[in-house]
Amino acid sequence: MSKIIVVTSGKGGVGKTTTSASIATGLAQRGFKTCVIDFDVGLRNLDLIMGCERRVVYDLVNLVNQEASLQQTLIKDKRVDNLYILPASQTRDKDALTIEGVARVIHKLKQNEFDYIICDSPAGIEKGAKMALYFADEAIITTNPEVSSVRDSDRILGILQSESRRAKMDEEPVKEHLLITRYNPNRVQEGQMLSVDDIVDLLAIPLLGIIPESQAVLEASNAGKPVILDDESNAGQAYNDAIARLLGEERPHRFMEAQKKGFLKRLFG
Amino acid sequence: MSGQAAVELKGGMYTLLSLQIHSIEADAIELALKNKVQQAPGFFKETPIVIDLSPVEHMPELDTDKLLQLVKDYNLVAIAARVNDKSSPAACSIKLPVLDAGGPRADKSADTAEQDKDGAKDTPATPELTSGGVIDMPVAGPTIVTRPVRSGQQVYAQGGELVVLGQAGPGAELIADSNIHVYGPLRGRALCGVTGNTDARIFCRSLEAELVSVAGNYKPLEEIPADLKGKPAQIWLDGDRLVIEALK
Repeated sequence: MSKIIVVTSGKGGVGKTTTSASIATGLAQRGFKTCVIDFDVGLRNLDLIMGCERRVVYDLVNLVNQEASLQQTLIKDKRVDNLYILPASQTRDKDALTIEGVARVIHKLKQNEFDYIICDSPAGIEKGAKMALYFADEAIITTNPEVSSVRDSDRILGILQSESRRAKMDEEPVKEHLLITRYNPNRVQEGQMLSVDDIVDLLAIPLLGIIPESQAVLEASNAGKPVILDDESNAGQAYNDAIARLLGEERPHRFMEAQKKGFLKRLFG
Repeated sequence: MSGQAAVELKGGMYTLLSLQIHSIEADAIELALKNKVQQAPGFFKETPIVIDLSPVEHMPELDTDKLLQLVKDYNLVAIAARVNDKSSPAACSIKLPVLDAGGPRADKSADTAEQDKDGAKDTPATPELTSGGVIDMPVAGPTIVTRPVRSGQQVYAQGGELVVLGQAGPGAELIADSNIHVYGPLRGRALCGVTGNTDARIFCRSLEAELVSVAGNYKPLEEIPADLKGKPAQIWLDGDRLVIEALK
């Protein structure tokens, strides 16, 4: 039985695509057959972060319009087995998607025995975002530690509760996970960012993980390589912890404490 | 298919909003309607109402056609008019079924009813006598919300109390005809007694609301006493003064 997970936030630029890429890669590394779909039609980014932008021939809109087959459209990842990317179209806009069309794509993926389908949502609360979350069984709410991001996450949680397929069919509600990205404990200590406790208190959903603000994320994006593959980095390790928790493992949260700067670091920054 | 008749007549009690008319000026009525509807846009949409004409039923100047048109323009569905005297000018001219005043109202204020009977039969009831129970609604059961109410969501408990077990996020709207209880932090807006119940109250465990209102009397966050923020509190109406006080 395929599980559909939407990565969403309401607000833009908080790390949805970075998270989608790393979560999909992490699940595939653990042996699950995984597909990650870019719903950001018109602003294609996922293929860049996954490093497969030169291999895009057909895209989600072609598939929705039945102009290409699933096998033609899916891009198999070169680094990790079991991982497939379904890119967005660069030339179309979100109106090209329909619920019936997306339903057909999801159905085909299920027939092909994918264990996980990760939906990378566009920002906003309009059609594209609603399309991405409609079929979700679980949702990873990506939030930065600042007030407007948390407010938008609250809004998107409301939409999940009322406009997802599960809500409309009166099924068990979408399972919600909170993922805090770009967390910087030093700035929290200085009062420039909301703390983990503040955010959990405001949103009242279970915490899946805390991804520390890290140079490694930017470097990984530029290199077209999901940051989870960078075992050395804090961010990569934090995504690994999040995957473990997503699969039901208990792991203590890390990267919450401010780093004490050593003598030399204080001198030279 | 035997035994079951195609139609059946049954008596029933229904919760209805009543719109009491205090003016014969179409402009004044329109303005008041507009204000009411603006308080909770969407909630009055297609709502069945009874037009209570008793305060103005003996004024022949009242243009009942215009009144019905206004009510329709604001998306309310008038299903009947309520009067004290079925032979009054308004009762005769309005193109709606006419209901007699009385019923449950009469036994609730027995003294008033007695007075009415003792007085001259044709004397109209004064507005003061009837305005005591503007909305005499049978109380509907409480609406209980077990999940958090998120930013951008609206919950309306029509005809009864609203109980929210979780939090109400910033930008969420809790609306009830009667009391509102919030057991998580109240961070959004809470409007109780929206159909005119001035006895309605708001109770919350942590007052962080953006706006609180009882029967249209509201205060925004800025005017909520700072020492009560994040504390258990109740909000009620003392005359037309909105009281926000700590729950002890």
